Amino acid sequence: MQLELGNIFIKDVQFADTTHVKDGVLFVNKEELKALILEDEHITDVQIDLARPGESVRITPVKDVIEPRVKVEGAGGIFPGVINKVNQVGSGRTHVLKGAAVVTAGRIVGFQEGIIDMTGPGAEYTPFSKLNNVVVTMDVKPEILQHAHEEILRLAGFKAALYLGEAAKEVEPDEVKVYETLPLLQQVAQYPDLPKVAYVQMLQSQGLLHDTYVYGVDAKKTLSTFIYPTEIMDGAIVSGNCVSACDKNTTYHHLNNPVVADLYEKHGKELNFVGVIITNENVYLADKIRSSDWASKLAEYLGVDGVVISQEGFGNPDTDLIMNCVKIEDKGIKTVIITDEYAGRDGASQSLADADAKANAVVTGGNANEVIELPPMDKIIGDVSYADVIAGGFDGSLRKDGSILVELQAITGATNELGFNSMSAKGY
Amino acid sequence: MKILTNNPWVKEKYKNKYEIHFADVGYLELLELVRDGIHQGDRLLSHPLSGSVKPNETPFKSVLVEEDRGEIDMDSLLIIEDALVMARNLMKNPKLFLEDDQRMNDCRMIDLSLIDSALEK
Repeated sequence: MQLELGNIFIKDVQFADTTHVKDGVLFVNKEELKALILEDEHITDVQIDLARPGESVRITPVKDVIEPRVKVEGAGGIFPGVINKVNQVGSGRTHVLKGAAVVTAGRIVGFQEGIIDMTGPGAEYTPFSKLNNVVVTMDVKPEILQHAHEEILRLAGFKAALYLGEAAKEVEPDEVKVYETLPLLQQVAQYPDLPKVAYVQMLQSQGLLHDTYVYGVDAKKTLSTFIYPTEIMDGAIVSGNCVSACDKNTTYHHLNNPVVADLYEKHGKELNFVGVIITNENVYLADKIRSSDWASKLAEYLGVDGVVISQEGFGNPDTDLIMNCVKIEDKGIKTVIITDEYAGRDGASQSLADADAKANAVVTGGNANEVIELPPMDKIIGDVSYADVIAGGFDGSLRKDGSILVELQAITGATNELGFNSMSAKGY
Repeated sequence: MKILTNNPWVKEKYKNKYEIHFADVGYLELLELVRDGIHQGDRLLSHPLSGSVKPNETPFKSVLVEEDRGEIDMDSLLIIEDALVMARNLMKNPKLFLEDDQRMNDCRMIDLSLIDSALEK
């Protein structure tokens, strides 16, 4: 399966009378976008704001971040089974507004974090401070309960991203990258002398605000399975989770999965990247055993020499991570795991809730308990009252000047376990 | 199957369907009750650290166990002991929740959703 990604570099976003892209600027017709989102009768009000790199803006509480993409050739549409009808994606050509994003914000439950600062020290900890963001903040009818509320915001974000993505359809990309994975036997034969490597991606799947969807199917109801990496680039996997935003994969993360990108980068040079296994992280222990049995069995079936395993979240998924690692190692396949840490504010405590001697190649995305001071911002997008609440959540956190003290876990993507950020640790 | 919980919403929803062991205790104490049960032969069915809302961010926790009363299940014991270590560590951090009705209800709802996802899939 081959996919061409045509990247159109976006260096600014502005409101205008029509939505289009010109000379690297994304122009957005605010009223048209609002009307599109208000087509959902459950949404009573929507605000569209722009947030550019370097501006004194804080966005919170963030639900999802989504990159605008559009299919220009090949089957299916972006987000199949979710917004577009179910149809296999991952081949043909897709255009990307690289440097732009839709950010959805709004309160669903009262303890959520999800902060994106566009400037200052907090901006260093989130990759989304570097993007030209179209922020969609929505209110829903008061009688709507949390589960439905979450779904409404999630789908509205995808609709907004597809709407903006349409603007990329007729634009000549600044660069075109080609990604290809062959059917397994051909792929193995293509680079017979290189080590065969697969990627095991673990998907958060525990319940409300802790879910992920694959072609529209709730991941907790799936068995571990194969997926072509290019399918992920077309939105086959979308996010429905944002609690403890530091180590949750937004939809943007899935579309731009850095493990996939790096494995493709080394493909044909250092290794033979044969494909992706996706597996879930359920609450039920029997599910963990079943899913890790399947993930390890599929890795064995692929005949790979090594796998990279990425986790999503902390605590409960630590058990899935170690089960996957140990069972795959037991099949004689080398593993590298990617995780993050809750090692206390001083970093001195045990980092994970599970461990095994076989997990001897570990990459960390950083310590989520690390504390950071966020200075006041001129503008807050999202729920302003909420910003006070999170700040007031613990003694001494809210300063008189409006600055707040938070753990990194509040910052969207800060300790991302796909490695989509700059923090890590090295042992010598 | 038995549910150990300090969440009244879980008790209310499942009291006619499953055996409920409700205890009006904190998050850590609830995990300790789960551990005590494992010492007496209970086997864990759901992960004690389910959900991304940390022990210092919610007072509510519900755990599914199977009442076995046979040999001590070592896998369950290892998981609950690791969970207790992690919970105690995280609870050294400041409490990150406010105890107003709305936020407490949100905490109850998330905990209930995690148990729902284990029971209803």
